[in-house]
Order: sequence, then structure tokens, then C-alpha cells
Amino acid sequence: MNDKSTWEFGTRQVVYGAIGAALYGVFSWATNILFPLPAAGNVTFRPAVAVLIFFAVAYGPWVGLLAGFIGNMIGDGLSGWGFYWNWSLGNGLMGMIPGLIVMAISDFRARADILKAVGWGTLGIIVGMLFASLTEMFVGGIDFNTALVGYFVPAFLGNLVVTVILLPILMIAFAAVAARRGR
Amino acid sequence: MLVTWKYRPRNTFIQRLDPRTRWIFLFSIILALTIPEIWDYRIIFPLFVLSLTLFFMARIEWKDVRRAFLSIFILVFFIVGLNAMLFGRGGPSSVQDPTSPVLFWVVTVSKAWFAIVQIMRMLTMAFLAIPIPYTMDPNIYGTTFKRMGVSDKVSFTIDLAFRFLPTFARDLTITMDAQRARGYELERLKGGIVARIQRLAPLIIPVVMQSTVTGEEVIDAMDLRAFGTARRSWLKELHYAPRDYFMIGLGVTIFLACCILKWGFGIGDFFVPEFFTRLVTG
Repeated sequence: MNDKSTWEFGTRQVVYGAIGAALYGVFSWATNILFPLPAAGNVTFRPAVAVLIFFAVAYGPWVGLLAGFIGNMIGDGLSGWGFYWNWSLGNGLMGMIPGLIVMAISDFRARADILKAVGWGTLGIIVGMLFASLTEMFVGGIDFNTALVGYFVPAFLGNLVVTVILLPILMIAFAAVAARRGR
Repeated sequence: MLVTWKYRPRNTFIQRLDPRTRWIFLFSIILALTIPEIWDYRIIFPLFVLSLTLFFMARIEWKDVRRAFLSIFILVFFIVGLNAMLFGRGGPSSVQDPTSPVLFWVVTVSKAWFAIVQIMRMLTMAFLAIPIPYTMDPNIYGTTFKRMGVSDKVSFTIDLAFRFLPTFARDLTITMDAQRARGYELERLKGGIVARIQRLAPLIIPVVMQSTVTGEEVIDAMDLRAFGTARRSWLKELHYAPRDYFMIGLGVTIFLACCILKWGFGIGDFFVPEFFTRLVTG
């Protein structure tokens, strides 16, 4: 997975990184402000995460990293939250990890490829949210239990649910669009 | 629906600062508190006052930040503060001092003081972070990161993302209106959480798919203009003024002072001040 195509960083990655970031920001803002989804305990559901993972799976790790990092910055900015570098970086990692599978996805409609994408997306959510939660131990001085139970578990569960539901739908829709476009 | 930035031009000292200065100062304070692991209220309290002062100098109206503060207060006071008071975990081991007088149930004087210090420490950073979207022009994020040493391509990605935002917000509005015309009731999403998320698909899919088509057109346009073949020039220029050197100097001095106090003089560890013990134990 370390071939040139996976890690290529050209015009395509710049543009789709920017589009992914803008969409991640808009959808994060929309579900925060416009049509908030109900939360279960302190688990919140952000459909934008599925969009982020979709961009990573479709366009590679750089796109995932940039879309997650910048998109989180935009979403927090639009909602008026401020800037939290570790959560932005965690979101970047959440996008970058599933992007590593980009060369292994050949048919966005195939069940095996969809399962691969969901699996790598789940891994990305674990790594990204674990990074953000654990760095709070140094930044905020919280203990391991709070980082895990108060921060990681709610973020992981909410993101996992939206990814499992929306990522396959996005992939199947994308297959149709790509087939029509011819590239 | 209108996606609006929280940013509004205000004639304040904070907004006259170079955006690079703001980032450098924010990171200096975060690093000053975290790298040498400062838990001493004599250091944290002045920094808390400093960041609160800078927050007020930004002159952001309460109605704008009310929502953000509500969420942060819930997190800081209830999740972090209560946990610190009940269990005292997260900070140095001296918080768990078994000789500390018990106030009630498992709460000791030491844990109660730790909760106060931890809340103050987190709010110090939050007061510096929250004003950024309200006081920093979104048009200069890309230039700022470029001038801070980030590569052309990454800086351009940031710049482009901010420019795409109104377009996608408009696409989302059009899609919402079109779906409503077909009987889609966004305001009355029914069912469990899974069903509700599924029902967002008619809203999300068209916007995302349209954006992938737009992306191809933008790539073609950029390739035709030979994007990425040479160093870019940036339209907006940033210049440091004396006030910027002062703020950067202040941030760096605070960071160095915290390191020297902690590692050179052993000042900065957690301890419970006498006045607090007397106050709570009577």
C-alpha cells in the first residue's frame, strides 16, 4: 500500500482534499445547528464522518488527512467552538487510515470492497478518536478512564454507526456516477 | 439557509494582530502548561487571567459564544471537573494524598482543589481557542499557514476548502428544497436512530455526488493552468508589527519561564494552598 499512487499528492488530491474538508465542515455544521440528530447519552451522531471516510476510500490517504483536519477546523469554526489541534489531527487520522485502502478498492458496488472500506473506516475511527482522546490526557490533564469512557467511547460509537449506515450508500451512488462519467 | 462565518471585522487589538501571532501565542500557552506539566495555581491563575483578558479584548458578544461556552462548560465542569473531584485521577500522584482531610464521601481537600485547578487550566486554553473563528478572517487561513512554513499544496487546499464552502452550502439548500418538494420531511424524521440516519441519505448523497463532478472540472481547470509545476505566489501579504513581536515574545517567555521554573527550581507541581484547606475545613 506504499506505492506511488497511494501517496501521490497532486492537483486531484488538493482539490478533493478541499472538497472533502468543505463538505465535512458543512455537514458537521448542519447536524450541529440545522437538524440536530438526537444524542444517546453523550454519544452524538455526525453523518459528516461517513462523507470523510468515503472521500478517503475514493481518493486516498492525503485527501482523508486533509479533509479530516481542515474539515474539523471548518466545522468547529462554523459552530463557533474554537480550534482544538488534537481533535483536528484525530479527525485527520480518522480520514487518513481508510485512505490507505484506496488501491485495493476496484468496484465500489462489490460487497467485498464495501466491507473492506467499512472495516478500514472502523480502524480509522478507532485510531483517530483514540489519538484525540488520549492526547487530552496531556493537554487537559484528564485521566485514562475519562479519556476512554468520557471521550473515546461516545465518539467511536457515534462515528461507527453513521459509517456503517451511510458509507455503503455513498459507495454505491459513487459507482453509478463514476460509471456515467467514465473516469 | 445561510452558512455564515462567525467572523466579523472589529477594530480591536486582537484583530489587529497578525494571524500568525495568534497561532504562535496559542500554542506557546498550550505547550507552557502541558510540556512541563504545570499544576501550580500560582502559575495557572495568572495565565487564566491573561487569557480571560485577551478574550474580553476580542469584544465578542455573549450571544455569539453562548452555545460554544455552554458545551465547553458541560464538558469541563461535569465530565472533567466532577471526575477530578470524585476520583482525583489525571493529575500528579500527590492529588491522591491519603492524609488529605475528607470533605464528604470520597472527596478530599486535595481532590477538590485539583478539580478547581484542572478546570482553570482547561478554561485558560479554551478562552484562547474560542475567539479564533470569531476574530480571524477565513480568507487568510491559507496565507497564514503558508507563511508559517506549510507547503504550497496544503496551504492551497485550506484556501480552496474555505472557498468551496458557500457553494456546497448552497447545494445543500437547493437539495433540501428539492427533496421537500417531493414530500421529504426533514423536520419530522421518524423512527430510531438508524432509520433517522438512513433518511438523511437523500440529502447527503446528491450533494456529495455533485461535488465529485465539480471536482473533476476544477482539476481540469487547474491542470490547464499548470498548477503545481512551480512555486506559487500569494495575493495576500502578512507583515509583523511591533505588537506582534511583543505578543510572540510574551508567549515564548511564558513557555520558557514555565520550563525553567519547573525543571530549574522545582516550582509548578501540584499542592494544596493553606488558605484553601482552612477555608473548606473551617
